[in-house]
Amino acid sequence: MAGSPYDPSRAPVAYGRRAVPQLFSELQQQEAPRRLRALASLCDLLRDPERISCTVSGGSLEQLKVLLKDEDSIVRAKTCELLHLLTAHRIGRQALLSSSFLPHLSELMDDSSSSCRRNVQRVLNRLTLMPAGAEALLTLVPKLMLKLREEEEEEEEDVQVLLLSTLSSCSCLDPLPALASDGVSLLLHKLSDSSTDIRREATAALMALSVCEEGMRQVCEEEVLPVLVDLLRDKDVEVQANAAGVIMYAAIINEGKRQCLDLDVIPILLSLVSQDGEEEKDKERKKALVMYSLRALTALAEAPQGRCLLLEQLSLLGRRSEAAEEDQDIRRNAQNAVRVITWTPCNTGDL
Amino acid sequence: MAFVSPTKRDQNGSYTFSSRPRPVEDRSKYREPPSEQTQSNYGNIMYDRRVVRGNTYAQQIIPTTALPDPVEVQRQQEIRRRTVATKRAREQCRTRTPEALQGRKHIDVQTDLYLEELSDVIVASDIECQTDAFLDKPATPLFIPAKSGKDVETQIEEGELFDFDREVQALLEVLVGKTVEQSLEEVMEEEELAGLRAQQRAFRELRNNELEEVLRLKEQERRSSKEKERRIAQQKEVLRKEREVAEKIAARAFTQQYLADLLPAVFTSLRSHGYFYDPVEKDIETNFFPWLMAEVNNSLEKRYTARALLDTIIDDVAWKRQEAFKDTQ
Repeated sequence: MAGSPYDPSRAPVAYGRRAVPQLFSELQQQEAPRRLRALASLCDLLRDPERISCTVSGGSLEQLKVLLKDEDSIVRAKTCELLHLLTAHRIGRQALLSSSFLPHLSELMDDSSSSCRRNVQRVLNRLTLMPAGAEALLTLVPKLMLKLREEEEEEEEDVQVLLLSTLSSCSCLDPLPALASDGVSLLLHKLSDSSTDIRREATAALMALSVCEEGMRQVCEEEVLPVLVDLLRDKDVEVQANAAGVIMYAAIINEGKRQCLDLDVIPILLSLVSQDGEEEKDKERKKALVMYSLRALTALAEAPQGRCLLLEQLSLLGRRSEAAEEDQDIRRNAQNAVRVITWTPCNTGDL
Repeated sequence: MAFVSPTKRDQNGSYTFSSRPRPVEDRSKYREPPSEQTQSNYGNIMYDRRVVRGNTYAQQIIPTTALPDPVEVQRQQEIRRRTVATKRAREQCRTRTPEALQGRKHIDVQTDLYLEELSDVIVASDIECQTDAFLDKPATPLFIPAKSGKDVETQIEEGELFDFDREVQALLEVLVGKTVEQSLEEVMEEEELAGLRAQQRAFRELRNNELEEVLRLKEQERRSSKEKERRIAQQKEVLRKEREVAEKIAARAFTQQYLADLLPAVFTSLRSHGYFYDPVEKDIETNFFPWLMAEVNNSLEKRYTARALLDTIIDDVAWKRQEAFKDTQ
């Protein structure tokens, strides 16, 4: 508990309003152990949003910037942990962005201590919860990709997961920086990783990247689709859903359609769509998977061979498009798919 | 009087007094006001009225009874007065020896048979007494004072002064409460963040869904518009080619017709421009005539020069003649 005199790892805490300012003045001391203890107490105190708002309005965040450059690596790691706690609340996130902490944090990404690097990645990950944060981090995307390449050698799984998650959040806003830094080939490498978390985050990032045309083109060029078709049979539902998402985007362009049809992906997608006997909670989790698979089938139905194949399997999709299906989105998607499959040139309406 | 502690130790520590010897202090006649704490003035013992003077052998012992009966007191006073009065009367009536004559003195003389030495000194004999050597003081018997008042007992039972459970409850409440509070806060924080992320994920799924639809339709639109453009371009190409062919045909027909009488027209025009010529004539024209004309020019030039010379000579002569004429005038 913070403030108890019997806890040697924490500095004593003053009462009420004086607690946080006094700890901040303690942070300016010369000896590193005292600073560390003050930081530990601050970590305990700053979980309370009211204290965070007092700190932020008091303007004591500048001191933390100084501490980020401290010689002791434990102090740096603790400061990053403190920033991580600050980012749990909106006020803290906004304060971090407006006080321009990003240059310092980006310097710390190259730190020698691994706990410090991990905490910095946590902070950046939490910052992407805000759209403004994701936008600010877009400038850091090349550096993040560089880090991802380096981290492969060090095999820090959680740091990789954090990096990938940050990248996917940033790329949802604007995929171009990541694509420019050769993101697709890097993510392709990560897709075949043994850890489920890494696969999930990598497929999510890839889906964010393939939203724009350049991304779709690169996905088709770099031969990502065979790996994705394997991932459609993965054990984790989210990995399957994300892989289906990438395929759905890639199948929009002609090259993607051609490759998908070459890889014979339609039966797999159909099997994913037509799972009967699911339980309620499974349905919730699989909703995204079913939606994306239906969309992928719709896109593939625009190609002649695809349409031939799908016309045979129309009944399956018909079941999904009926009123018996509770989920409105899935029903709509299925109806859309049926409409595209049964289109003929002499139908009125658009293509 | 100054308060002195009853158990004051002597300087070398040999004695302990229960009541330390102190000099008697002078006491004034009237009591001092009680609030005032006076300094102890040590009075001279010789002038202290309380100290008994002289021989104490024949002193009267002060009666122990406190307040005598007032009647008794009065009677005693009467008796005293009567005795004093009778004594005085007796004194006055008593005949005394007449005074000594001048130059003589009365002296008391012993008239007994045996003279006795009279002195003031009272024969006293000293008697010493010595106590036995100190025996060990036997142990004082246990002083059990007489019982007076009510007997009251009290006993502190186990668990009355300090009940661990009760005391520890407050501490535990604080400790456990603070820990639980902190952890609840942290759990709420995490839940909030998890809720935020779940909401973001749900939004992203829907967004991806709709975005895919949008992109697919956009792509479709692009394809169809491209197809339309291609077809239009194709059609334009066809039209252009047709037009070109028509122009070519028209041009061919026109040229044919134009070139029909080309040959005679050409010959006529050539002939009119003089391209068919007689070489001898041409030769005469190109070589002979220029030379001829040049020669003619030369000779004419010579004639002109000669004429010009002549003109100047004539002019000169005329001028000279005129001058000569003027001279002669």
